[in-house]
Amino acid sequence: METFVQSIVSGILTGSLYAMIGVGLTVIFGVMRIINMAHGDMVMFGMYGAFLSITFLKIDPFLSIILWIPIAFLIGVLIYRFLLKNIVPAGELNTLLYTAGLSLFIANLVLLIATGDYRTIKLKYAVIPLRPFGISVPIPLAIAFGMAILITIALYWFLVRTDTGRAIRATSQEPEAAALMGVNVDRMAIITFALGTALACGAGVLLAPSLYLYPTVGEILVAKCFVIVVLGGLGSVPGAIAGGLLLGVVESLGAVYVSVPYKDAIGFVIFLLVLLFRPSGLFGVGKS
Amino acid sequence: MKKIVIALAILLLFTAPWIVSSPFFIHLMIMVLMWTVLGASWNILGGFTGQVSFGHATFLGAGAYTTMILYLKLGIAPWYGIPIGGLVAALIALPIGFICFRLRGPYFALSTLAVAEIIRLVALNWESFTNGPVGLLITTLPDVTFWGRSIDWENKIPFYYIIAVIALGAIVATYIMSRTRLGAYSLAIREDIDSAEAIGINTVQARVAALSLSAFFAGVAGGFYAMYLRYIDPDAVFSIALSVEMVFIAVVGGLTTVAGPLIGAIVLVTFGETFRQIFLVGHLIFYGLMMMIVIRYLPEGIWGKLRLWFGN
Repeated sequence: METFVQSIVSGILTGSLYAMIGVGLTVIFGVMRIINMAHGDMVMFGMYGAFLSITFLKIDPFLSIILWIPIAFLIGVLIYRFLLKNIVPAGELNTLLYTAGLSLFIANLVLLIATGDYRTIKLKYAVIPLRPFGISVPIPLAIAFGMAILITIALYWFLVRTDTGRAIRATSQEPEAAALMGVNVDRMAIITFALGTALACGAGVLLAPSLYLYPTVGEILVAKCFVIVVLGGLGSVPGAIAGGLLLGVVESLGAVYVSVPYKDAIGFVIFLLVLLFRPSGLFGVGKS
Repeated sequence: MKKIVIALAILLLFTAPWIVSSPFFIHLMIMVLMWTVLGASWNILGGFTGQVSFGHATFLGAGAYTTMILYLKLGIAPWYGIPIGGLVAALIALPIGFICFRLRGPYFALSTLAVAEIIRLVALNWESFTNGPVGLLITTLPDVTFWGRSIDWENKIPFYYIIAVIALGAIVATYIMSRTRLGAYSLAIREDIDSAEAIGINTVQARVAALSLSAFFAGVAGGFYAMYLRYIDPDAVFSIALSVEMVFIAVVGGLTTVAGPLIGAIVLVTFGETFRQIFLVGHLIFYGLMMMIVIRYLPEGIWGKLRLWFGN
């Protein structure tokens, strides 16, 4: 029983970060119909950002998120404006190939600069895990969990309560009708892409103290990210949150009750089953 | 005119090792030709049928492991193992095709990525069969006499001729496919799958056939990879990066063209391998850059564009 609760808890902790990455991908897909293969590399960028902050600026990685989220937002604006804008009308497959190229470019650029060495971030306060009710909770993951929840709530509030958020949701539902209602669809696309990039990067900063850093980490993260958004239904924000938590829990239960080496495969098997039998996601809200 | 150019190209293909003998150059040409086969393989599915696969490493890996395991466990020489590897890859493609072709466009692409990752994880963990992450190694290749002379496997030239024949085969197969009913069905599917279905094409069957043919060549190239490098492990032959590289060779060269993969491989592999000699890592940076430039400015690919110019 204790192992069961333990694996649920660690699953939810990791799942909250998966959810944050997934939300970024899913809003981008919703508004622009881009399947962004470079999304994982934005997470990698955030991880290296956290690493740079603690190594050179001596700033705690969790504090440095205040620095990296705006930078990532700006990078997102630039990528969209100068690289993606002209590609999007060429169709989903061309943008898929284009962002795959972008992903390879970014990952290899970082590989050239930072080399392929595995790096870790060691925090002084992270040595002993917390033990509430006899369940072991690593401190960095607990802090990351809290911050991921705050950021996700803030995003939710933005999408539901503000005018820009409403315009983004309108564009996601029906771009042409939104344009007719006076929504500047192009501006929404820029904001959404930048927002998605900032979320991915922020999740990267939060994940950095709990994972190994290496330049091609984005490859596996982006694959997981597709699993999450397809589970929840492409384009749906609540779906991506649920999908992220679900994948986290499934992986951690799988590691305990099935086998550690195959825990990553479980996610992909579920992914295929959902794609084949429920293409609009487990909750039937996505666009297929 | 066209026939003369083709005849000269084939002549050049088979005399190249006599013209330049530097080992690096021969290695480079072997790599270019191996990637031509892989690009041609991907082009058969991705170019002609328009189905973007991000999981072709599965077939390369299947071919590589078949060749390796047949040789190490049963003593079957790699030159038999290579075509058998191709056949095994083509067989594996059948169930994958029938499952994944229920999906379309980007969803198909994502499903192939998922299948490839599942197979990589299986290869990594099925240690009794694949030797897991340790990989498989061959130290010596069996003796062969060719026209009375015994072949020196420490020299790269025999490998060059083997891959030259395979590459020629892949290009000829692409040409033949483009002339047959399957080629016509494929193009119809690429242009509009619903219309193709409506005029009575069994699109699932046609796509599975194209995938299987495509997988055969990827498997053959995988078998060659195992024999040439003499070492394979799951992360080397089943990785997402390999699948993506195949896509890039085919797209940069020019989709739906017969010679496109050769041109793509010449451009990307030459730059990539030279880059690797200088900087050791990050040689794929150029692949990413070329991909972005091609999609943005040359959607028909380098060879597609050149052909348009020559046509005029």
